[in-house]
Amino acid sequence: MVDNGSTPAGSIPRNNQKPVLIKMLKSFPDDMPIVDIVKATKVYPPDIIAVQNVSLAVGKGELVFLTGMSGAGKTTLLKMICCIERPTKGVIEVAGNDLSRIRQSEIQKLRRQIGVVYQDFKILPRQTVYENIAIPMEVMYRSPKVIRKRVGQLLEILGITHKREVQAAKLSRGEQQRVAIARAAANAPPLILADEPTGNLDQEASGYVMELFEQLNKSGSTVIIATHDESIYRKSRHRTVELAHGLFSGHVGHRQLPLINA
Amino acid sequence: MGHKTYFHIKQTGRNLRHNWPTQLMTVMTISLSVLIFSFFLLIYLNIVNAGSRLGDELRLIVYLNEEVQPEARPMYENKIRDFGKVERIEFISRAEAFERLGRQLDSEKDVLADLGPDFLPPSIEVYPQRNMRNLTGLKQFSDYLTTLPSADKVQYGQSWMEKFGYFIELLRVIVILSGVLLIMATVFMVSSTIRLTVVAKEAELEVLRLVGADNKFIQTPLLIEGIMQGIIGSACGLLLLYLIFQWTTGHLSGPGFLNMLDFSFFPPKTTAIIAASSVLLCVGGSMISIRKHMRI
Ligand SMILES: Nc1ncnc2c1ncn2[C@@H]1O[C@H](COP(=O)(O)OP(=O)(O)O)[C@@H](O)[C@H]1O
Ligand SMILES: [Mg+2]
Repeated sequence: MVDNGSTPAGSIPRNNQKPVLIKMLKSFPDDMPIVDIVKATKVYPPDIIAVQNVSLAVGKGELVFLTGMSGAGKTTLLKMICCIERPTKGVIEVAGNDLSRIRQSEIQKLRRQIGVVYQDFKILPRQTVYENIAIPMEVMYRSPKVIRKRVGQLLEILGITHKREVQAAKLSRGEQQRVAIARAAANAPPLILADEPTGNLDQEASGYVMELFEQLNKSGSTVIIATHDESIYRKSRHRTVELAHGLFSGHVGHRQLPLINA
Repeated sequence: MGHKTYFHIKQTGRNLRHNWPTQLMTVMTISLSVLIFSFFLLIYLNIVNAGSRLGDELRLIVYLNEEVQPEARPMYENKIRDFGKVERIEFISRAEAFERLGRQLDSEKDVLADLGPDFLPPSIEVYPQRNMRNLTGLKQFSDYLTTLPSADKVQYGQSWMEKFGYFIELLRVIVILSGVLLIMATVFMVSSTIRLTVVAKEAELEVLRLVGADNKFIQTPLLIEGIMQGIIGSACGLLLLYLIFQWTTGHLSGPGFLNMLDFSFFPPKTTAIIAASSVLLCVGGSMISIRKHMRI
């Protein structure tokens, strides 16, 4: 069974509101926030407040670090952006699409435009590195030639070319993490959400990964990186927003975008 | 996009590699069901065919206690035709009956010498139309014919017809039962195999959903899986039946029961219909399972 339990990882419950066709992320105007979170609250049953009254706007083409201690609600916030969790209160818009108003098939369309690096990777242990990275491109029916080329490129950048045909289960955590990152980057999606992408990496590998994100960002992707790894954002010129116990704390990066705490 | 089919087939291949023992079991069950069903169907169709050929010689004989005069014949014919459509009516006089018997006995003709030409009763032979040639129809017709003037009794091979009728009836029940077996086994096996595929691939399906795979991407391979099971299963079942048929007819050639029946295999059309229905059943099984386990 694909969907089970109260918070299925593959779907959000249907609602009865009128379905709206989604707008594409790529053609979204540059001067508007591509991710717009307005007073979002997430309460997990029974009463665990993971995110409380958070507002955050991320401009198109921005690279943002979402920081905060573990348990601050970073993962929950990212999950809400890619429709794995829905907010208990508040509104989340991605490219102008109110996520609570789009239907299942539209969510699929939306997800094809968002690359997500999950904190727990969610790679397939029995499939090879190559197969894992190819999945999002196969889902988009890219040509086998394009897929081969792109996978090769990503493996090269992330320094795992020699693991190409190895089963993902046989990789170290750090290598698995890089596979997860390569998969998220495969389609060079307009929006990338990375949850602790350097959590299992040494400094060298972290460097490769950040380079990849910078590259993707330069070529137009909006990137949101949730991390508590200070070394990757401390000297960065990008905006940093800090979550603390489900609320944004005062510290905001150099580029001030609408960001409301209540 | 030209790559869709490629990826659907690739995905199907992955599924097959994943749980081929289950797939094999399913294909074997389908073949066996198809074999059992088509075996009984083959026998049934051949017997029915043989029955209808025998039926061509079918007639009702009305024995009379006195000769029908030529001028009374139209009256008889009208009365008979009042009941229903009739292909042919023949009046047999005592003399004709005697002569016929003599022809049949041929060399042993002398046994008739002592008997006079009046020894056999006159009769009317009624050849009913094709649509009347069923047991109840004949029974009613025969009851009606008994009411003809000076009719003694009516004969049409009642007991033989009855037995044959029951036999066909029994065969039909068996064919229907094996058909039901085929339907249930196929749908059940295919849908539970797909359920197993879905369960075994839960993690993969979750990932596919997370990267935004549409329903088609996930479901088409499962559908292809079902169709392939149907094609391979029914092909194996029918091939097996054909081999059994060839072997049997080869070994039981010569003057025997089978030859008398002129036993023959399904025409291509019937074969195609059986195969197509099994494939359809498999598609049905796949759909049921997909609907149930994947919340379209
Ligand atoms: N599925 C869940 N069910 C219940 N509580 C959860 C669930 N996911 C996260 N939480 C809780 O929500 C809070 C925020 O978690 P999380 O978003 O994972 O924070 P972070 O990613 O910043 O470490 C934590 O207290 C965590 O225990
Ligand atoms: Mg987290």
